[in-house]
Order: sequence, then structure tokens, then C-alpha cells
Amino acid sequence: MEEAFTSLAGGLAVAIQPMNLLFALIGVLLGTAVGVLPGIGPALTVALLLPITFKLDPAGSIIMFAGIYYGGMYGGSTTAILINAPGESASMATALEGNLMAKAGRGGPALATAAIGSFVAGTIATLGLTLLAPYLVDIAVSFGPEDYFALMCVAFVTVSATFGDSPIRGLTSLFIGLMLGLVGIDLLSGQTRLSFGVQALYDGVEVTTLAVGLFAVGEALYVASRRHIQEERLEAIRGSLWMTREDWKRSWKPWLRGTAYGFPIGALPAGGAEIPTFLSYATERRLTKHPEDFGKGAIEGVAGPEAANNAAAAGTLVPLLTLGLPTSATAAMLLAGFQQYNLNPGPLLFAERPEVVWGLIASLFIANGMLLVLNLPLVGLWVRLLAIPQPWLYAGILVFATMGTIAANPSPVELMMLTVFGALGFLMRRFDYPIAPVIVGLILGPIAESQLRRALSISLGDPMTLLQSPISATLLAIALLALVAPFFLKGLGRFRAVED
Amino acid sequence: MAFSSQRRIDVAGLVIALVLLLLAGLVWWDMSSLQILSPYDLGPKVMPIIVSAGLTLLAVGNAVSAFRGDLPARDSLDWKPIVLVLGALACLIALIAFGGGFMIGTALLFAATSTAFGRRAFVTDLGIGAAIAAVIYLLFVKLLTLSLPAGPLERLF
Amino acid sequence: MSQFRRGLWRSALAAAAVAGFVTSAAAQMELKIMAPAAPGGGWDQTARSMQQALTQAGIAKSAQVTNVPGAGGSIGIAQLVNNSKGDGNQLMVMGYVMVGALLTNKSPVTLDQTTPIARLTTEYEAIVVPADSPIKNAKDLAAAIKADPAKVTWAGGSAGGVDHIAAALFAKAAGADPTKINYIPFSGGGEALAAILGGKVTAGISGYGEFESQVKAGKLRLIGLTSAKKTANVDVPSIKEQGIDLEIANWRAVVAPPGISADQKKALTEAMDKMAKSKEWQEILKAKGWEDAYVSGDAFAKILAEEQTRTKEVLTAVGLVKS
Repeated sequence: MEEAFTSLAGGLAVAIQPMNLLFALIGVLLGTAVGVLPGIGPALTVALLLPITFKLDPAGSIIMFAGIYYGGMYGGSTTAILINAPGESASMATALEGNLMAKAGRGGPALATAAIGSFVAGTIATLGLTLLAPYLVDIAVSFGPEDYFALMCVAFVTVSATFGDSPIRGLTSLFIGLMLGLVGIDLLSGQTRLSFGVQALYDGVEVTTLAVGLFAVGEALYVASRRHIQEERLEAIRGSLWMTREDWKRSWKPWLRGTAYGFPIGALPAGGAEIPTFLSYATERRLTKHPEDFGKGAIEGVAGPEAANNAAAAGTLVPLLTLGLPTSATAAMLLAGFQQYNLNPGPLLFAERPEVVWGLIASLFIANGMLLVLNLPLVGLWVRLLAIPQPWLYAGILVFATMGTIAANPSPVELMMLTVFGALGFLMRRFDYPIAPVIVGLILGPIAESQLRRALSISLGDPMTLLQSPISATLLAIALLALVAPFFLKGLGRFRAVED
Repeated sequence: MAFSSQRRIDVAGLVIALVLLLLAGLVWWDMSSLQILSPYDLGPKVMPIIVSAGLTLLAVGNAVSAFRGDLPARDSLDWKPIVLVLGALACLIALIAFGGGFMIGTALLFAATSTAFGRRAFVTDLGIGAAIAAVIYLLFVKLLTLSLPAGPLERLF
Repeated sequence: MSQFRRGLWRSALAAAAVAGFVTSAAAQMELKIMAPAAPGGGWDQTARSMQQALTQAGIAKSAQVTNVPGAGGSIGIAQLVNNSKGDGNQLMVMGYVMVGALLTNKSPVTLDQTTPIARLTTEYEAIVVPADSPIKNAKDLAAAIKADPAKVTWAGGSAGGVDHIAAALFAKAAGADPTKINYIPFSGGGEALAAILGGKVTAGISGYGEFESQVKAGKLRLIGLTSAKKTANVDVPSIKEQGIDLEIANWRAVVAPPGISADQKKALTEAMDKMAKSKEWQEILKAKGWEDAYVSGDAFAKILAEEQTRTKEVLTAVGLVKS
């Protein structure tokens, strides 16, 4: 363990050389610039900019690489907060409260808590990686399909916090999402569902297309339709541009709790970053001392999910570095970074090339810090984007939304889906159905289905497999408890909240 | 949450219930043509059955709410801006589908949206939209080497 | 959800396409390479590597990569066949996976409509078991499958893909009923690998690259590769050498649109021949760990036809394709 710290210190010593700091700065700038395009998440940002890093020496290249990655991730959160267009599925939860904060003139604190929360979570998770990786990895690998299914059950129960105040409306939204999740080729049987012979639907509904359509396009339509009643007034800054003492007080616990969700779940080979962000959002909504703020822009709802997102990204390094398992798009990008040196991450990497592993970890650390240094001063600039005259602001949002969609998949069908989802988002707002459960359904539905089917295939159809695994049995018990508990507790009023 | 004071049947709510029922039927119909191929797999039908059943139940639930009239109140609606924006999106899709490139469509989308939000300078906005589109095009194609749908304007670059 | 995406090299923007006119000087060629997949995947990387090699080696003046993602390449090939007919500057990257995808997706367009140019690379499938598994070699695995195919669970990629086909072919070669195999598709290599390492399944099947570092670390036991003979990078005889008649490879190739003239076909084939021999291409192969499997002209057309026949048989047997 002491060895780990010595190695980390060695890595850091390399990373803070002036030239390497410059590379980190350039990386963060480039990454943020490209990452703000909705539909282009951090993984694709790195993919697109990877060639630039080829031209540098190995150390500089991996440092710039880390900078691009963190910049891309922060860029995704920035658009989620400012224009309600999450660049990737993991910043969807951030958009929920973050955009409301931005509209209320609190975009500055929202961006700041996202940046600082990411830094805190990234730092803690990196420490966790340094100390716990060998132990965590055994647990991570022992997670079987039945355990993932149980984890999904917990997630489904908890996300009911995003349902708003009417269970029927919330469930209706969720089932629309589950239905959209059916579209495309069924991974386990190779048959197509709900595609009606349209080949462009065979790959299913892209989460970012749905999210950008429902959130950004839907909202533009809604605001436009109400202009004659209520002129929406956006104030770029109301109150402090920076986080107040109160904001800090309300943020630090969500940061820590978000990290506690993100790191271990991110370390699971099929854990991902979406589930911890949802869990964090739901938790903050339940634990907050300011339930009246949820639905109007609660800082806890930004601080928690952003920390969870970043911690999950660090968590994916556990299976990557110890086993060579790229378990997310992010991890796959890091793998690409390693392959620049003709290195294959795996069980032997820590032993054979410790300097590379620690160099990478140190680089992530530096990039994270650089992001903070760079973006906190920029917060004021970002927020002033909202001061653009409303017609241009929304026109720009729509142009960005369509552009990101075309860049990821230059097909008219994808744009049609964006438009249809935009119209759906408009109608849901008009008839007061919550938006978030649709996306939750699209993300979690297919995972829950395929994990259950895998579990039952392995057990040859015996459902008892769900109870025989201690992890699965525990998680199912938690899910059941979470489902039943609210009926016994009188504090139901606390869960009530409004979402537009 | 404001509830409408007069409790009468909400037609829009009934339409929503009907749409949900239709979707349930669609999912069910689509499911019926699937096959179970592996003898060990639960099969691709189970999830659609759950979704279809859920949508049916929710259709009933939504219909009950509509009959009771306890849907949230709605403001009057201005359709013009919506038609304008959706129309511009449709133009963009058509232009891309038929080889008109994305720049013209993007410029149109920008100007139409801006008009929908009350600006009266369509031509100026068309110019601004075109400029934004050009910058994005250059960024994507030159720096990121991503191919964007090209039309007559794009070929000038 | 987002997938593993990587790649992208220097930009090269082709001017307006002037179809059907190939000058004798190949260096004047302005090629368009379609990757029928999203940016970052294997086909996209192949297309962009070709772009790099072709322009740097001076074989083509420019090479523009376009991405037409969707349905395992079904959308890309439809566009190639319908919109690029007779275009002597257009190429499309494809691979063995597309052969199966076109069949399972009931694509109205087939590979027979394209003009085969050349096969570029190949990767063999590997079968592995957890290190503590009682199964020691291909014979043991074959015996277990023959005894009870239900009890042998396989982890691999999506249904109908090359992993699934290889598992079905293994069962068939072992004398078991291929329709009875308990094949469990996972999304992405990492997830399947975790299931194998965690001992959740009996065996895993995927490209050897996915398993290599685990095998070397002793966490997985390699049963064998699906090559004809033992390859230099492994210590275990191939599955075929162990007496199970299974040979399959996941290759990548390029095809051209239908209706191009004999001269155009010749020009494209020559360009590929030159590229395959170029220092630039060889360096890319080495850096990416791709195995060179260059075959062009009629020999490749023959391979393509054979693979289509065999794949259709297997997919019909497992029920994914109606005969």
C-alpha cells in the first residue's frame, strides 16, 4: 500500500512538469469545446481527438488524453445544465435540476458544484482505486446476471422519486420508456422487435437522441407555445455567481454520497454510470432539507449525480487496470490510450509496467484539477450564454441539438426520431407527464430484461437462482423494503415534488 | 398543483388513454410474431407482454382520471410557433434525405425558430444560421473528420 | 448505449465526386470509403486506417471516409448498392459479421450484388474456460456438450454473430445438436469476460484479442483457436488439430458497388494490392494487432460465396434464418 503511494507520487512528479501541465490545459480546452456538442459524449470526444495525442511523447500524450476525457465529460454536464441537452446518458440526471437552476439565474453555482463535485469525487475515487482495487475486483467479478437483475430492481424502485406527484402519470412515462427500449434487435435472440421492417430502427433508440429530443427540443416547443401567455424571462445571474456558504453546506454531503454510489457501481463490469446517477438523484431528493426546491432547481440534485458520474468513471478503472476489462465506453477509450504504447491492460500490467498505470492515474488527477482551475473562472462566461436574446438562444439550442444528432449518425431517420421525441416532449409537458422516467425506462428496461434472461438461461429456467445468490437476495430485499416502506411511513409528503 | 375547478370529462385525457391502448395493442401484435429460439431462454416475448399489459392498465387509469376530470389545468395554446419549428425540422430532414445538405436546412431551422420566438428579421437570422452552420461544418469535417450530409453549399468548402 | 469508439486520423476531404472516370495514374484516384458503422468501431477503424495508408503511401490522391451506421451494416450496403451503382471510386469496408447480419435482418440487398475487391485482415475465434474448470482441452469440451448440451453454457457476443455461429459449429463438429446449445449473448467483450472469470458460465468464445491477457496471466485456460493450424502467438494446438473439425475466422474486407466496369475493378484491386504491400499499411497492422490476410480478386470472391453458404446453413439450423 505504501508502495502504491510512492508510485502515485512518482507519477504526479512527472505530470506536474510545466510542459505536461500545458498539455493537460490544451486537452481540457479541446475536450470541453467538443464535449459541449450534445450527442458527442466524453468517449466519442476522446475518440475524435485521439489522433492529436499521437503526435506527442508518451507521457504528454496520456496527460493530454486524460485532459480531453475530463474536458469532454465536463462539456456534457455544461450543456445539460445550460441548455437542457445532456451530452450523454450519464449527465441526464444532472439536467433535471441543473437546468432549472440555470433558468432561475443560478447557473453559476450549478456549474460550480458540478465542477467541484466532480473534482472531489474524482479525487476520492482515485484514492479508492489506489487502495481498494485488488479487493473490489473480486467482488465485481462475482456479480452474476442474477445480481445485476436485482440491482436493476433496486434502481427501478428508487427512481420512482423522479415520477412527480402522480403515480399514474409517472408510470405512464416509465412504460413509454420501456416500450421504446423494446425497439430494435433483441440481443439475446437476434430477432427484431417494434421495428416494422425499418432497418434504421434495428439498433434501437439512442439514449442521447431521446434525451435531447424530450428535454431540449420539447422544451423549446413548449416555451414557444406559451409566449403569448407568459414571456419566459431568463436571467443569467440572480444572486451570487459563485456558490454561497449555503450552497457549500448543501453540496458537500451529496458529493460524498454520490461518490459512494458511483465508485463501487462503476467498478462492476456491467454497472455503468447511469444507475449511480439515478440512485444519487433519488437519494438526494429524499434526504434533502429543502424538498420544496426540487422541481425548481435544487443544488443537491446537481451535486450528487455529477459526483456519482465522475466517481463511476474512476470506478471503471478498477476492472480495466486489474483485469483488462473495458466495461464502458470510457474505459474502452483509456484502453485505446494504453494501446498507443502497445500495452495491453490486464492482470499483469500493475506488476509489469507500474509506471504507466500510476502515470495514467496521476494524469487523471492532474486533468481533474486543471479542469477545476480552468472552468471555475469560465463559469461566468458560460452563464452569460443564457443572456443571449431568447429567439437566438432557442434557435441555437435547436441547431446544436440537430447537429449533435447528425454527427453521431448522419441519417434522416435519426433526425425524424429527434423531431418525434421533441413533439412527444412538448405534449408531455403540456399534459404534465414527467419526462425523466421515459429515459430511465429506456436505459434500465433492456438491461433488466437481458440480465434476467441470462440468469434464467444459466440456471436452466429455475427462478430460485435469484434467491440463492446472497448478493441478489440482499438487493431484492432492499428493493422490497424500499417499495413497501413509504406506505408505512407517514412522511409521504416529503416525496411530493413537481417536475415540469 | 392546480386542478380544474369544473369536474367534467377531459377529452384530451381520453385521447391519451386511447393512444396508450393502441400502443399496447401494437406491442402485443408485434410480439405475436416473435419466436422462442433457444430452449433455455425466457424468450423475447416476456418483456413485450409485460409492457403491453402495463400500458393497458395505464390506459384504464388515465381514462378514469379523464372521466373524473382531475387532470391538471392547461393554458391556452399558440400553435403557430410549434408548426413553424416542426416545419423547419421537417425541411431539414427532407433536405438531408434528398441531398440538399445540412447547411441550408440548419440556416432555415435557426431562422424559423428565431421567428417562432418573436423575432422579425428572418433574412438576417438566415444569414446568422448559415454562418453557424458553416463554422460547425468546418469544425466537424476538417478537425474531427466526421462526414456530415453534404449538399450544394457544402461542396463550396 | 454508447459503444467503444476510437480511431480517426488525419483529415482528407475529397472534392465533388466525379464518378466513373478513372485515370490511368492511380495516384489521381479520389477514393470514398464507406464504413457501414458508427465512428470508432472495427469497420470504422479499418476504413480510417485504409485512408491513412492510401494517402500517405501516395496510392490515392485522397480518401474520404463516410459512416453509414445501422443494423450490422445492412443500411450501409443498401446505400452502396442503390446509390453508388457504377461508381469506380467508392469502396465499402465489411466483414464476416455482415454476412450473418444481412441474413438475420432479412436484408433485401445481398453481398452478391456488390463487387468483391479484397480481404484485408482476419482474427480467429478462441474458446476459453475458467482456469479451475475440469475441462482441459477441446475433446473434454466436446464430450461435455455431447453428454448434455444444456449444461454447457457459452458466453459470447450477440445472437447470430460470429461467436454464436462458431459455438454452434463446435457443437455440430462434436456430434451434438447445434440447436440445443445454451449460448448466452452478452453485450460487449468486457461483460462476457467478467461472466467467464466469475465462473458463471462453462466456456467463453470470442476473438482471441479479448482473452489474450487473461490467458497469459493464467486466469483463463485457452482450449484452442479456430484456425487450421496452431498459430505462433499461442501454446495450444488449434481446435481442428485437436480433432474437432471447426475452422472459422472473423475477417474484414472491402467491396465495391455493383455495375463498375472491368477497368474500374482492376484499378481498385490494384490500389488495394499496393496498399496491402505498403510500409504504411504493414505498420498499422502491427500497431493494431491485426493479422494480415490479404486475398484479392477471384480468390476473395470465392471465399465470400463459400462463407455465405455456410453461414446460411448454420443460422438456419439455429433458427435465426427461415430457409
